Amino acid sequence: MKRKGLRFYLRIYRKILAQDLKSKMSYRADFIISTVGMIFTNIAGFISFWILFRNFPSINGWNYYEILFLYGFSLISLTPVQCLFDNNWSLRMYVYSGDFIKYCFRPINLFFYFQSEVFDVKGLGQLAFGIGTLVFAWCKLGLGFSVLMLLKVIIFLITASLVMIALQNAAAASCFWIQNSFYILDFVTKFKDYARYPITIFSPVFRFIFTFLMPIAFIAYYPSLVILRPDAVPVLTWLSPLLGCGFFWLSYKLWMFGALKYSGTGS
Amino acid sequence: MNLKKYTTLTRAGIMESLQFRLSSLVIVVGNLLYLIVVYFLWKAIYASAGTEVVNGMTFYDTLIYLVLATALFGFMEMYVVWDIGRSIQSGKIVLDLLKPMEYRKYMFWSYSGSFVTQFFFTFLPTFLVVAAVTKGTISFGFNLLFFVLAVAMAVSINYSIDFIVATICLYTESIWGINIMKQVIVLLLSGATIPLAFFPEPLHTIVSYLPFQSIYHTPLMLLLDGNPQPKDVVTALCTQLFWVIVMTVISKLFWKVSLRQITVNGG
Repeated sequence: MKRKGLRFYLRIYRKILAQDLKSKMSYRADFIISTVGMIFTNIAGFISFWILFRNFPSINGWNYYEILFLYGFSLISLTPVQCLFDNNWSLRMYVYSGDFIKYCFRPINLFFYFQSEVFDVKGLGQLAFGIGTLVFAWCKLGLGFSVLMLLKVIIFLITASLVMIALQNAAAASCFWIQNSFYILDFVTKFKDYARYPITIFSPVFRFIFTFLMPIAFIAYYPSLVILRPDAVPVLTWLSPLLGCGFFWLSYKLWMFGALKYSGTGS
Repeated sequence: MNLKKYTTLTRAGIMESLQFRLSSLVIVVGNLLYLIVVYFLWKAIYASAGTEVVNGMTFYDTLIYLVLATALFGFMEMYVVWDIGRSIQSGKIVLDLLKPMEYRKYMFWSYSGSFVTQFFFTFLPTFLVVAAVTKGTISFGFNLLFFVLAVAMAVSINYSIDFIVATICLYTESIWGINIMKQVIVLLLSGATIPLAFFPEPLHTIVSYLPFQSIYHTPLMLLLDGNPQPKDVVTALCTQLFWVIVMTVISKLFWKVSLRQITVNGG
């Protein structure tokens, strides 16, 4: 079979996306309430930092605006997984009911087709909130601005997104082997909330765990160092784009391995 | 008294939740990791503060407060909103409404089984671990009795709030958005994310007039107070009782009025 090019996939994605948005728009109230709910969550995170720093001047040498920078950074890097890979949440239902088989019969990449089916619009609210927080913290910290810095931020945001996507893919793929995999997905998702803190607060053992076993430190901490602590950037930060791609590739392979092993429910 | 019909539902709930042993394991591991993150985070925060006591709370007080708040959350969170919302969407609710038991009671007693299992699998281990880690900060006296009483009332208030939110789903047909809003509001304003003692002034007063603080703040403060003053205890418990009655009445009335609204699509 001839391999299909990127342009082909982009065209298909646009078409599927349009259908999905149309069906979402027919439940307008749900859409609005969900977006408001998303913004609520972000504001609550913001308020808890505010309350915290009213009582304490800094955490481990990180001040209020630096922590806000990490928070904004993590919100932006979580947007792709929220918007583009939200169908992972339904995977276990499809597998369980047998409907997953319909994805196996299309002449395009299985993973691509499955993920393209849902675009979660409410993630865009989070993106806007994250950019606002990041810009606010950036200005307050007086970091200055250059094209190179912007370029670095963008590259490292993509890296961070890849790590989170990889974590979610792997967690979702567990449903090919385990019945009630909701808890695993929920567990991984909760983890992203811990990504907002500088990893230096942990003891060496947990620093290792959060760097290599559950790589949440790559979601905000390591990438942010490039901007926040430009004189003391560890090697891991520079390696993170590679690691991000690696994690993503591994999770994709795991997901596909599970999917190809899938034999349907017989119905 | 016809208690048997209730205890039967409890027993069924216990058996149902014991079905998924792996998921309980994941939940326990997740709680443990959360415990570790909270421990290191607040240790760093207190280390940066330079003083032992902040707003009348020591590091150990804060640790116990936050960890047990999470344990209580796991214990009280019943996914009522999701279940009722789903059965409204699927039409299954019609069958439940026909049962010879008030719907509000039926749902509560169906969940009571998971209270029992959650208590033994999540709450008790967490409680013991945290009591051991904080080396005797929790005193074992009358405060335990008050704590149990307060938790029982907190469960009732929390259930009423959930039930009200689930009733709102009858109108909106949106579950995710409504539920996330409720969760964010309850967790923040009840002190489960940051102890209420840290809230700055205008916010602190506002929160003390709302029902949410009775869910997490009151039981935890009663537990932490090793030397309880009768006046404080009575005030705290009476405030809770007040909210139990108010929220129960509101949730019952709201459900009664809304039931006329119900539209079930097929089923």
